[in-house]
Amino acid sequence: MDTRDAATLSVRVAFCHWFPSPFVDYHEHAMSRSNVILLVLLAAVALAILAAASLLHNGLSSRATPTSFEALLARNARHLAIPADARKKQNPIAASPENLRDARLHFADHCAICHGNEGTGDTMIGKGLYPKPPDLRAAETQKLSDGELFWIIENGVRFTGMPAFGGTHGSEEDSWKLVQFIRHLPQLSTDERMEMERYNPKGPGDRAEENEEEDFLHGVPMQQKPESSHHH
Amino acid sequence: MRAKLFTLLSAVLLMVTVVLAHGDKKHVVGTVEKINAGSIVVKTADGKSVEVKLLASTMYVSRVGNEDKSAQLSDLEVGDRVVIHATPNGETLEANEVKFSTKGAAAAAKSKP
Repeated sequence: MDTRDAATLSVRVAFCHWFPSPFVDYHEHAMSRSNVILLVLLAAVALAILAAASLLHNGLSSRATPTSFEALLARNARHLAIPADARKKQNPIAASPENLRDARLHFADHCAICHGNEGTGDTMIGKGLYPKPPDLRAAETQKLSDGELFWIIENGVRFTGMPAFGGTHGSEEDSWKLVQFIRHLPQLSTDERMEMERYNPKGPGDRAEENEEEDFLHGVPMQQKPESSHHH
Repeated sequence: MRAKLFTLLSAVLLMVTVVLAHGDKKHVVGTVEKINAGSIVVKTADGKSVEVKLLASTMYVSRVGNEDKSAQLSDLEVGDRVVIHATPNGETLEANEVKFSTKGAAAAAKSKP
């Protein structure tokens, strides 16, 4: 028997071992099944080791950016997680400047800390999350239905930094208004953004610094360091 | 065997580090010393000149009295007081927002009781 025949024979033996004929006796079949289970288990362990190695290689840091494959999987998982009837829901709130302003200030107070007033996600907290908050102005978000956006605001997204706001504050009406505001984000004006800044949550240090800067703009000599780090 | 496994698990847990995010914005406060095509040079209170790069996305805000108004780069003049919120990018600072008050506005606000 030459090497080629030996190789062919070994492949046949392996094939028969893992994929037995239906005519083999019960004992052989049972053994093969247990071997298949073992093989599946080994594959699962190997995958788990690979996943663990990948995570440890990155130090489990949330600084990393998800790969496009991960993002694709997550988007599809999120899509499947939203019930079909929820996706089809229409926004019951009438679009008006008053409702839009309510939502804008609500967003500034509750959402901007991660998403930023412009919805870019370019904030200290946003940059530190894994996955990063999406750019709400971008097509990936804007092409979601009103019902999907509402569902995400109300229920959050598991394994991300997006919490469920439903039932914890305000009403569903507030969430529907936020959906309107998310639609408006790509056209956010500078005046609207400046108004939002006044409603952003700030600590005493930030407030004091802001007041000093305002005083400086009003002609008061600068008292503090000319350059300062700012945590926002 | 169990002790080895415990040690290994402990080592793995120790490797898991929480990354604390740091603020990455800088505030540059001073008077406009020079306006270039793509940057502003600001003279700060300690006499240093700090150059801040201007981007297409940079927003300009004019402070008039107690109100902020949207403005343009062309509204800015040498001598104006500025507060620039900028993001460091390598050795350069990139302006996110330039808030300023004109020399006249600052003087008028200062003279008010």
